[in-house]
Amino acid sequence: MANRSLAQVLTLRPGPGGPVWLIEFRAMGSPCRLHLAGVALPRAQELAELALAEVQRIEQAWSRYLDDSLVSRINRAAGTGKVVAVDAETAHLLDFADQLWRASEGRFDITSGVLRRAWNFRQASVPDAARLAQVCGLIGWADVAWNGEFISLPRTGMEIDFGGLGKEYAVDRVATLLIEAGQRSGVVNLGGDLRVLGPRPDGQAWQMAVAHPRQPGENLVSWPLLEGALATSGDYERCIEVAGRRYAHILDPRTGWPVSDWQSISVHAPACLAAGALCTVAMLSGPAAPDFLREQGVDFVACDAHGHLFTSEDTRCDLRAAC
Amino acid sequence: MAPAWGEAVVAATDHTRRTFGALTLAACALPGVMPAVAMAEEAPEHSLVAVKMSGYQDKQPGLDRLSVKSPSFYLLTPLGRQWAVEGSLTHDDVSGASPRYYTDVSGASRMHDDRVAGDLRLTRYFERQSLSIGLSHSGEHDYVSNALSITGTHASEDNNTTWNAGIGLSRDRINPVNELVVNERKRTVEWQVGVTHALSPLDLVQGTLTWSVGKGYFSDPYKLFDERPRERNSGVLLLRWNHWSPALAAAVRSSYRLYRDSFGVQAHTVELNVEKPLNAQWTLTPSLRYHTQRAADFYVDPVDNANVYPGPNGTPTYVSTDQRLSAFGALGLGMKLAWQWSPAWGADMKLERYEQRADWRLGGQGSPGVDPLKALQWQIGLSHKF
Repeated sequence: MANRSLAQVLTLRPGPGGPVWLIEFRAMGSPCRLHLAGVALPRAQELAELALAEVQRIEQAWSRYLDDSLVSRINRAAGTGKVVAVDAETAHLLDFADQLWRASEGRFDITSGVLRRAWNFRQASVPDAARLAQVCGLIGWADVAWNGEFISLPRTGMEIDFGGLGKEYAVDRVATLLIEAGQRSGVVNLGGDLRVLGPRPDGQAWQMAVAHPRQPGENLVSWPLLEGALATSGDYERCIEVAGRRYAHILDPRTGWPVSDWQSISVHAPACLAAGALCTVAMLSGPAAPDFLREQGVDFVACDAHGHLFTSEDTRCDLRAAC
Repeated sequence: MAPAWGEAVVAATDHTRRTFGALTLAACALPGVMPAVAMAEEAPEHSLVAVKMSGYQDKQPGLDRLSVKSPSFYLLTPLGRQWAVEGSLTHDDVSGASPRYYTDVSGASRMHDDRVAGDLRLTRYFERQSLSIGLSHSGEHDYVSNALSITGTHASEDNNTTWNAGIGLSRDRINPVNELVVNERKRTVEWQVGVTHALSPLDLVQGTLTWSVGKGYFSDPYKLFDERPRERNSGVLLLRWNHWSPALAAAVRSSYRLYRDSFGVQAHTVELNVEKPLNAQWTLTPSLRYHTQRAADFYVDPVDNANVYPGPNGTPTYVSTDQRLSAFGALGLGMKLAWQWSPAWGADMKLERYEQRADWRLGGQGSPGVDPLKALQWQIGLSHKF
């Protein structure tokens, strides 16, 4: 934990059930916020340390930017025939990724990160077909040798990454640690993926909101949460326009091309890992997304390409703020 | 046992009952994702070794009865991803006065005995099932017991429900030092079925039914006037409810147990404990237990007639003066403090105060003429995961 820095408690906001502490830090390339209520300041600081240490632990294990992370070691061994031993925690996540890949018929593929080599969302250009075909040849969870203990990527240049899973899992781990440490009121928010520890000290819900995919600074819906997790996947974070056409960073690993059926999809589920994975799969599921989410029994709000909203029948979100 | 991770999570977000799909459930079932209660058909990931020392002492007015200081060792280790083996070894040093019959008879002989007991269990984990076979042995110089058990579990596709079934066989051989009987035997066959169901991410309910048929020597060779039937059939119904309370930030566990046997004993036991994490390292678990039972048909109360006492009136076929077969009520109050100072190391300390009184029996008088029994049980343990 060499780069571990003390999380700073920034704001004290008195509320009806006592102060709500806001702790902000940066991790996993995202701004992170922790709201803790019903607790004294020294304890809030202790809990913040606990949270930060857990986020950093997970980041160091799975970051593809850190040379000594497990993910980097797995990726470096690609094409060499070497197998890499995987710890139990990572094994569970890989098993879950495998399950997602099967259930989504290949739409969710943790080897698809290589597409960023072809698509540069900082430049307004579309990759040529040859380059895209070359990169797509490096995608394929089906070809990865994974036996529950050891993993080996068959082709040089292949990569796995836990984008879409790692941050969400970190949210769940932090929430679980804090709840197990006795904290009953607060919200863990890592770069927009969040989980509620429990209601506000006065029993009220936390007022959450989903960002509007086309109007920066505006909210699509507000969403009161007493518990559970909320994650959103949108086409607006990174996109380019070429010749009047919008290309979003939601890429289908089976074709290498962006999909544009949905502007954004938000899911409320008991765990952030579930919410995050489901909205990613739903974004890639085309018109079948609402049915897929209904089958999963989760509360959701999906905004299609024309700005029309689809929700679960019994949604708890507040649509009055909707566009 | 290993911590119960990867629990079946069903349901309630914002208090709405929902039936989640397979992917949602799979995410929630990943170890460490949900803070909660329950179980999974999953081989343990770590080895666990634990050492425990425990002691037991009970008292009746004027007599200290028994004290057992038993060091015990426990080892659980996974063998690959699908197998686990666990074993324990206990050595009891039993000393004190031998059990006496009616509590106002003193002068019981002192006794000292060593007991060595061990068991070994091998479990194979499948995708939704587990199967285990267990062997156990316990030996004192006058009592040797060997047992074999096979149990299986099956979890539903959504992991919300787990069924379990098991069968156990035990064979005991009894050779009391007073040679009242020689090479006596006792055989018991036990069947068990149960179901565990996750009602919500916070609630787990379980029901278990156990039926056992025993044949052989059930009497106590060290007690005067103790002649019990050579067959004892018993049934147990156990209902449990584990609830994680977000308001208390604690796990509340409650249970009810109904016991009936062919001796005529019928007992009800309710128990409540609250496991409260104080912070990341310390957990406090207070517990409360109440037990009430009806006497065995052949249990005889002390009689006033000094010519007969301490024996029974007449010459009944079956008779016992063992106060464990009498009618009574009992209360147990316990406290456990656990300290997990690192992911690998933990220690715990447990103390339970137990008191048994005839007049604490529910809804009626207990057996007359039996002194209250007070017992104190303690345990300290150290565990290491690797």
